[in-house]
Amino acid sequence: MADFNVNIRGVGSVSVIDLKGYLDAHTAPELENAFNKLLDESQYKVVVNFNDLAYISSAGLGVFMAYVETMRENKGDIKFSNMTESVYNIFDLLGFPILYEFYKDEDDAITKFND
Amino acid sequence: MGLPFFEIKSSRKLENAIFISILLFLFKIIYPSFTSFFGIVINELLIFSVMYFWMLYAIDFIHSKSPAPLSVVLNSGILNALIFFIISLSSSLFSELSDLGSSTNFVYSIFTTFIAFVFIGSVIYIISAFRELFYLRQQRDPSTYFNTMLVFFGLTFVSNLFTRLDPSLDYLKNSFYVVSIVLISFNSLRVAWIAFLVKKQKVYLLIISIVLSILFGFNFALTLESNIVQQLIMNFSPGLHTILNLVMIYGTIYFGVIFFTALFHLPTAEAFDRKAEEVASLMDLSKLITQVFDFKELADTVTAITTKVCNSDSAWLVTHKDGNYELSSINNIGYVEAEKITNSLLVESAYQIDEVRTINDHPIKIRIKTDIRTFNYKSVAIAPLKVHNETNGFLFAARKHNFVFDDDDKKAVGAFADYAAVALENAKHIEESLEKERLEKELDVAREIQYKILPTETPILKNMEISALFVPAFEVGGDYYDFFELRNNKLGFVVADVSGKGISAAFIMAEVKGIFESLAKLIESPKELLITANEILKNSLEKKSFVTAIYGIVDTETGSLNFARVGHTPLLHIHGNRVEQLTPPGIGLGLDFGPNFSNNIVEKEIQLNNDDIVVLYTDGITESLNGSYEEYGYGRFEKTLLENSRKSLIDLSNEVMKSLTVFSQDASQHDDITLVLFKWHFNK
Repeated sequence: MADFNVNIRGVGSVSVIDLKGYLDAHTAPELENAFNKLLDESQYKVVVNFNDLAYISSAGLGVFMAYVETMRENKGDIKFSNMTESVYNIFDLLGFPILYEFYKDEDDAITKFND
Repeated sequence: MGLPFFEIKSSRKLENAIFISILLFLFKIIYPSFTSFFGIVINELLIFSVMYFWMLYAIDFIHSKSPAPLSVVLNSGILNALIFFIISLSSSLFSELSDLGSSTNFVYSIFTTFIAFVFIGSVIYIISAFRELFYLRQQRDPSTYFNTMLVFFGLTFVSNLFTRLDPSLDYLKNSFYVVSIVLISFNSLRVAWIAFLVKKQKVYLLIISIVLSILFGFNFALTLESNIVQQLIMNFSPGLHTILNLVMIYGTIYFGVIFFTALFHLPTAEAFDRKAEEVASLMDLSKLITQVFDFKELADTVTAITTKVCNSDSAWLVTHKDGNYELSSINNIGYVEAEKITNSLLVESAYQIDEVRTINDHPIKIRIKTDIRTFNYKSVAIAPLKVHNETNGFLFAARKHNFVFDDDDKKAVGAFADYAAVALENAKHIEESLEKERLEKELDVAREIQYKILPTETPILKNMEISALFVPAFEVGGDYYDFFELRNNKLGFVVADVSGKGISAAFIMAEVKGIFESLAKLIESPKELLITANEILKNSLEKKSFVTAIYGIVDTETGSLNFARVGHTPLLHIHGNRVEQLTPPGIGLGLDFGPNFSNNIVEKEIQLNNDDIVVLYTDGITESLNGSYEEYGYGRFEKTLLENSRKSLIDLSNEVMKSLTVFSQDASQHDDITLVLFKWHFNK
């Protein structure tokens, strides 16, 4: 079983989720837990940092789709940053860049929230 | 040592006893009194046989009822009281008869015989009852001792005849009599059964035994002094009188011994009761562990038993779950209370409880809402639930008053905690295996659905060869492909991949198939078809689910291919030595149900020439992983395609599969693999 790790950090009013390892159908519930926790704390501005993510499956992508609507309804959003090319290609093929904001750097995404 | 006739059936014993009794009765009616020695011998032998056979039957009778020892004691006591009553009543009503020899009338005979039978019955029952008590709780077969005593009873009975024959032979009778008494004293010491009575029964027995011992003593004295009953019995049979005598001595000694034994057992009775209860509880628990799969039920039993056996006011059990401790069962304590006390004690001990521990005279302050309460427990015992050196929870027992838990109590709590730990582990394993079984069944269903959905054969066309390869993953991945023969020699085709796995993916697949099958006949534009499909899916797709697809239409006369892609892997067009990746814009079905979807989908048209190959695939190929989590990737895929593009489509598919297998080696296939190939052969 490949490793997967989720970590939540607060940067001002924005929450940053760091992903590490392999995100698939088996590890997706861990990410769901992280999002549930943010909802419990009414944190709707989320940046997901993909810097250490090696792989994402369709089930992993589904997690973002499940939560983005709630975040946006509460004047928040899920923004993506620091993606490797291979992970970005998966998002790109699916058409995510039309619906989500992608940033090279986490700070850019945070700045966008604070504007 | 076995007694004669002992082994025959109980019903036969009864028949024999009744038969001989009738014989004796008739004999006594016909010869109410006699003087000849021969007559006396017959008389004594008959009475002896009657007593012997009734005893055999009585032993069986009492044993078959397997009564409680106390009721046996009570019954023999009642018969003893009856004897006392008869003797006392008769001696107060009638004076002694001066001359027995002359009283030979019929009424007298009947009366004597009746009285004698009552005495025989009582004596026999009492002997049999003593025998039953004698055999209780014996480790080895003690029958030799008891039977020897019975034999001496018999000898004493018969030796009366010798005395009658020659008074100088009196010493014979006396010596048998003395030996009998010695044996009685010896056999009276077997009272092991008293230890197994509970305290209440011991107290009860103590009172009964002293009363009975005295009563037997009285009766013994009454049978010796001369009164009318003594005269009647003596006249009826001197042997019976002797046996009556011996039984009264037996009773006096036996109940005397019982009295003192019960008395000495009393101080330890409570401890003995508790130990016995503990052993019984542990036995019940081990039975439960194998029978009960529901941990909650077992936890309730454990706390109930702990409260009872360890003499505590309350007991509760907490188990480790998802990093927290939660209450599994409470007994005699409020839920909130138990939870707060648990937290306070566990925090204090920093969760470091490796063995049973007691906390004494320690007030526990807890806050329930705004109310701060202090619980003054005299003693709280905490035992860890340990399996394989891992603590899965704790068992608590608490006493409010009384004494602190001693070492025995601690051991008991520890033993119950161990059982709970094993049971908890069992319950976990069972749940896991049930869950696994359920998942496997679910996957079987999902695979079946998938096989029914996918086409069984590919269409055969004049100008185009088609091959389709599908390799399912263990957990159904949700790949779907299909072909639709349309009007004007056109062929519709779809390759799709449903997100997620298992049965949920299989159901979405079934729905997607329905949508494509019906829309293919209605809508001639791939783009419009996919927009409509997205709108239909809006109502049924879960938020986190999506479907990627390529839908296209080939004109099988002209070779023009028109398609649209929504989130799917590119369509590959191989012509000559080139592979062209065609990735027209389009976002996956289910990602967005607004204008974003319809505004971003672009239809693309290509023209197929001779030997051109069209490749449709799912990410199961390019995202295949090897043992070191490396992806097969698009590069390897394209290389394999180009190297084998001259081969037949079937061979080409096989080469791709071979290359994939070599790459992933022993890593398991985690997603479905679909590879659909078209090859254009115009004018061939």
